[in-house]
Amino acid sequence: MRYAARKIIMLVVTVLAISFVVFLAFSVIPGDPALTILGGQTDPARVEALREQMGLNAPLPVRYVRWLRSFLAGDFGMSYRYSVPVSRLLGEKIPITLILTLESFLFMLLISIPLGIYSARHAGGRADRALVILNQIIMAVPPFFSGILITFFFGMLLHWFVPGGYVSWRVSLSGCVGYLVFPAIAIALPKSAMVVSILRRSLLKEARLDYVRTAYSRGSRTNYVLYRHMLRNAMGPVVTFLGMAAADMVAGSIIIEQVFGIPGLGRALLTAIANRDYPVVEAIIVLISVLVVASGAAVDLICRRLDPRISLD
Amino acid sequence: MSERILEVSDLNIEFHDHSLPETVVYDFDLTLHEGEIVGIVGESGSGKSMSAMAIAGLLSRHEIRKRGQILYDGRNLLDCDRDTLRRYQGEDIAVIFQEPMTSLDPVRRIGWQVEESVRLHHPEIPAERRREMALRNLADCGLADPEKVYRQYPSQLSGGMRQRVMIAAAMMGNPRILIADEPTTALDVLVQEQIIELLRRINRERGTAILFISHDLSLVRRLCSRVLVMREGRIVEAGPVEDIFNHPAEDYTRALIRAIPRVFSEKRGGEAEGEGTAAAAAPVLDVEHLDVFYQESGQGIGELFRRKRAEPVVKDISFSLRRGECLALVGGSGCGKSTLARAVAGLTRSYTGTVSRPGVQPQIIFQDPYNSLNPMHTVRWILEEPLRLTGEKNARVREKRILSMLEKVRLSPELLGRYPSQLSGGQRQRVCIGSALMQQPELLIADEPVSALDVTIQAEILELLGELRREMALSVLFISHDLRTVYQLCDTILVMEKGEIVERGAVDEVYRRPRSKYTKALLRAAGISS
Amino acid sequence: MVIDMTGILNWKTESGKTNWYLVLGTGITGFVLSLIFIGLLHPPYDIEAMDTAHKFAGGSLRHLFGTDNFGRDVFSRVLAGGFTTMKIAAGTVAVGLLGGVLIGAVTGYFGGLTDELLMRINDTLFAFPSVLLALVIVSLFGSGTSHVIWALGIAFVPSFARMVRSEFLRYKNSDFIAGAKLQGAGALRIMTHHILPNAAPVLMSSVMIGFNNAVLAEAGLSYLGIGVQPPEPSLGSMLSEAQSYLVSAPLYAAGPGLMIIFMVLGFSLLAEGMSREQLSGAWF
Repeated sequence: MRYAARKIIMLVVTVLAISFVVFLAFSVIPGDPALTILGGQTDPARVEALREQMGLNAPLPVRYVRWLRSFLAGDFGMSYRYSVPVSRLLGEKIPITLILTLESFLFMLLISIPLGIYSARHAGGRADRALVILNQIIMAVPPFFSGILITFFFGMLLHWFVPGGYVSWRVSLSGCVGYLVFPAIAIALPKSAMVVSILRRSLLKEARLDYVRTAYSRGSRTNYVLYRHMLRNAMGPVVTFLGMAAADMVAGSIIIEQVFGIPGLGRALLTAIANRDYPVVEAIIVLISVLVVASGAAVDLICRRLDPRISLD
Repeated sequence: MSERILEVSDLNIEFHDHSLPETVVYDFDLTLHEGEIVGIVGESGSGKSMSAMAIAGLLSRHEIRKRGQILYDGRNLLDCDRDTLRRYQGEDIAVIFQEPMTSLDPVRRIGWQVEESVRLHHPEIPAERRREMALRNLADCGLADPEKVYRQYPSQLSGGMRQRVMIAAAMMGNPRILIADEPTTALDVLVQEQIIELLRRINRERGTAILFISHDLSLVRRLCSRVLVMREGRIVEAGPVEDIFNHPAEDYTRALIRAIPRVFSEKRGGEAEGEGTAAAAAPVLDVEHLDVFYQESGQGIGELFRRKRAEPVVKDISFSLRRGECLALVGGSGCGKSTLARAVAGLTRSYTGTVSRPGVQPQIIFQDPYNSLNPMHTVRWILEEPLRLTGEKNARVREKRILSMLEKVRLSPELLGRYPSQLSGGQRQRVCIGSALMQQPELLIADEPVSALDVTIQAEILELLGELRREMALSVLFISHDLRTVYQLCDTILVMEKGEIVERGAVDEVYRRPRSKYTKALLRAAGISS
Repeated sequence: MVIDMTGILNWKTESGKTNWYLVLGTGITGFVLSLIFIGLLHPPYDIEAMDTAHKFAGGSLRHLFGTDNFGRDVFSRVLAGGFTTMKIAAGTVAVGLLGGVLIGAVTGYFGGLTDELLMRINDTLFAFPSVLLALVIVSLFGSGTSHVIWALGIAFVPSFARMVRSEFLRYKNSDFIAGAKLQGAGALRIMTHHILPNAAPVLMSSVMIGFNNAVLAEAGLSYLGIGVQPPEPSLGSMLSEAQSYLVSAPLYAAGPGLMIIFMVLGFSLLAEGMSREQLSGAWF
């Protein structure tokens, strides 16, 4: 329990540090937000008035604390571009990216874990060799290219879905989930290939260890040794990778949203970058950081549960 | 004579995973009677473990081919399918392995693992009874608090405890045959003695036949009634232990027996110059009131705020070492002898007290020759580096000195272009010695220099150290757990227990009239009695 | 610095079988590099030459992957785009490697509080997706080739640093390093001459993985339109363009897509072939 408390404190500190760095970075870049909002208006008095109103004249730490306080209250500031609260702008989009990421994560697990076990169990066999080759190729296909291929084959040739025909989750949740199946597969494919090869390698490494021989010497079947002994030992590297993959999938969704025309966080981020709409950029980056740090902590906790050696030290 | 329970005849084992098939065991024959303890002795690569694993049915990878017969219970185990074989494994034939550290599943509780064979072979036995059996077996194998051990994980136990757990797990099905593959090699001397005693008791009380595989001839002599001597995949000699010891028929067996360092009966290696001169010579090392602390390796942010309250690993030690003297530092693992060596050499600074070593920086020879040579450099580079570091600019001078050093450590110049992975264990240790002597130190610290080597190689390296000592007037601090090798090489001895010196004196004196209890136990474990 | 490549390029595995990963990886990477080289010296067509009469020409011997919306030869543009990608990947890996080796070696060898702090930062950055990090940097400093190199290079530093540090940690307490210290080798010499050669195989393998990731990341950024800017040809922006004409000219997308796949495949096979352990089926 003391460990969990320490972990949470570390987590909060890390997120605070990231938010500060992000805030700092966007505060020191050239360009006056007041000028951006006024759109080329150069009346110094008006600019100055707006700066005062936006609190831009306060010293940096004060501005950071102010920003942080409102951020925690769910107020992410006003969009320079659209002059609406950032929270309203993003509220619509967060669920989309969340659904997309969760769906692709789920696909990855469903595809890769059974295949990885199968590949290791039959290492050296024909199916395993074919899988190893297929894996290498799939890993080499960037998700946006497989997205284009999927759009071409399943969308344009087979008409399994309408490219660009995104269904909002407000209209129909199942329709939205259904539309996101194909983008989710595009994100999940290369990651699944990596998990397969990591799990295979990890299992084959375990297979050489002494405790496996001990288990066999007691008259265990191969499947028993595999599922009751080796799998849990072999999951360490896989779980570590899954943590990183979760973070990577959020980033991957940014690109895939572009391919499939999904109005999620990624497209909002790209538009905001193009428009220099910094409050939006800041908010999205901090939100994604929270996700990254949280998934890291989750991995850590799962590893502890899997391997008693870590918590016994 | 009692019933024959296992008959192995004409067992041949071949490996097919390289381009050329390689035979590792030729025509292996063995008969095991009920309740008998038979030893298989040989050096690494002799095929002793392979033969034993074949009997246990643990060589089933498809690139291994086996021919011959392993007759058990009226069946040839080599012809059995996996399912039939599995019925015997863990139930009739159980195995314990060399490395208790890695032979248990790290993520499962001890109780679960001990019960495994019962769960597999007798699923009808209820969990409660299974637990009782496990607890009884754990207690029977000398684990003081079986209830606690039952709930623990392997990493929470010491090496000796883990080997007891392994034995307890193996004995769950009351097997007729227990195969023990070097079960004590990785353990401390005194623990080794306890495990041997446990095996002897199991054999006596339960009538389990034991196949004991070891590289240690003297250990086999104390435990087994019959012995097979193996070399390069073949049985060289077989028969009752005492017969083979007293009248070895083969040269190889004689060499093995000769390689066991003898105590009392033989003139010792190092005493060329007589005691008088050594005592009068100047000290090359003077240690006074030395306390060495363990260096915490894993520091976190939290470490900064924690009070450092380190316990010394080595406590208040004083001794001096004179020119030409060979001083033995003896003790079990974890007694602090290696820590002391590192402090003396100057590798650690976390100590209090004084260490004075006038003259050239002393060098260390380490235990594991596989870890003490840089794997990415050639022998030439390794031998040249100490010269470059002393600032020897002239390449020709360096080359000359390398060649003369090779001669000293009896290595052929052909090896200069090789990498450590292309050398044998003995050759590596010679390169280590050569590299250590390159800067001509007066003091050489040898930290268990032979304990990772095969017995016959051990004898060669010890002989080499003895010769070098005389030739170069070297002082040696010889660290060892093995009282037999110490006797052969050293003049004086310090015995350490838990960081403190419990006995010191001339080797002959200490061996004949040990005063401390610990020294006596060590001598007894080494089979030396005065 | 002494690094022995013979220890890294093992054409045969320990059991005497051909190391197919290395053979294929070298073959594919060699093929891609020579294509790019040819494209640099003798491009089949001028990459800027527009031919509005032949817009969206299908694949033929004259135009291997057809022509684009301006009637430019796709194949020639793919070769030129491959060069841009390779240039950026090389720059990125150089920046990442240099920073990573410096940070990793110093923190791994000396340890202590600096190590603790740097690694905390490093691990957070490491978990942060490199494309996202690059996105932030590019959005702060603007797009363009050199910005992409710096952005991706900095994003790659943590992974190199982590790897180098773990290698240094692995060796710094080994007996042969203790021996070198006793013979009077200083910290710098131990790091460069004694530990680094041992880290080389892993380092080479992660350089290949670095190339692999850099190609993917650059293509991704350019696809999003915030990487390489026109008129400089780039595989990512070609793909994004091709996507709009998927119906009329499906072959247009195949050209840059295949180029990326071959590049990444070559590097990932090389990485696999260089890493020491070749695991085969055991024990089952």
